[in-house]
Amino acid sequence: MSSPGLQGLRPWIIQRVSAVFIALYLVYLVAVLLLCNPLNENDWAGWVATPYNNILLGLFIIATLWHAWIGIRDIILDYVPNVVGRLLVLTLVAGTLIGSGLWGFKALFMVVIQ
Amino acid sequence: MAVSDNRPFFLNLVKIHLPVTGFVSIFHRISGLLLFLVTPFCVYLLDLSLQGKAGFNAAATLLAHPISQLISAVLLWSIIHHFIAGLRFLLTDFDIGLEKKQATQYAWLVFIIEAIVFTLLAVEIFL
Repeated sequence: MSSPGLQGLRPWIIQRVSAVFIALYLVYLVAVLLLCNPLNENDWAGWVATPYNNILLGLFIIATLWHAWIGIRDIILDYVPNVVGRLLVLTLVAGTLIGSGLWGFKALFMVVIQ
Repeated sequence: MAVSDNRPFFLNLVKIHLPVTGFVSIFHRISGLLLFLVTPFCVYLLDLSLQGKAGFNAAATLLAHPISQLISAVLLWSIIHHFIAGLRFLLTDFDIGLEKKQATQYAWLVFIIEAIVFTLLAVEIFL
């Protein structure tokens, strides 16, 4: 069964590029948390509001949601053979990911303008 | 086409004996699915934690609940396994460790490294 736009080299490459970015960001985040822990009530919002961290966290959210989309899509294509069911589950997943992304960006934007 | 297929066909996951490389693979999938399922809640926690000191403390209180701690431990394992197994799969893209014996060794290495990283981070986070 073919699902146009859901297969091929492009998602394969995006999955790997996003994976490398996510991995590097997680190493950076763990290093920050271990070395100069900003995860407390006084420093956390300020740390996220710093332009550098705000932009990186925004990129991390995009990379993670895109990575999740391709991964979950692969699982659905493997386990949901029915076309209607597939479309339904894919739509639910896409809605969840887009909603999460918009919500994350709202949080990142609000902390900057405060 | 002659049909004389006597191979056992199991969809009973308990009866399928996976090699260690198979466990790296299926856990990569399961951990990825778990991480996807908690995405909206993670974004909610991020948003809440950024709403002043009251919001930060509300998020901290939510995470301090024993059930949250248990879920957090499972998610910590998920993210570590997904990370380490993901690195191993990137190596396969470069044709590294494809031969059977080597592939088995890499699979064990994934589990050994993730056990060490999980222990170190769990001590840091939960103790």
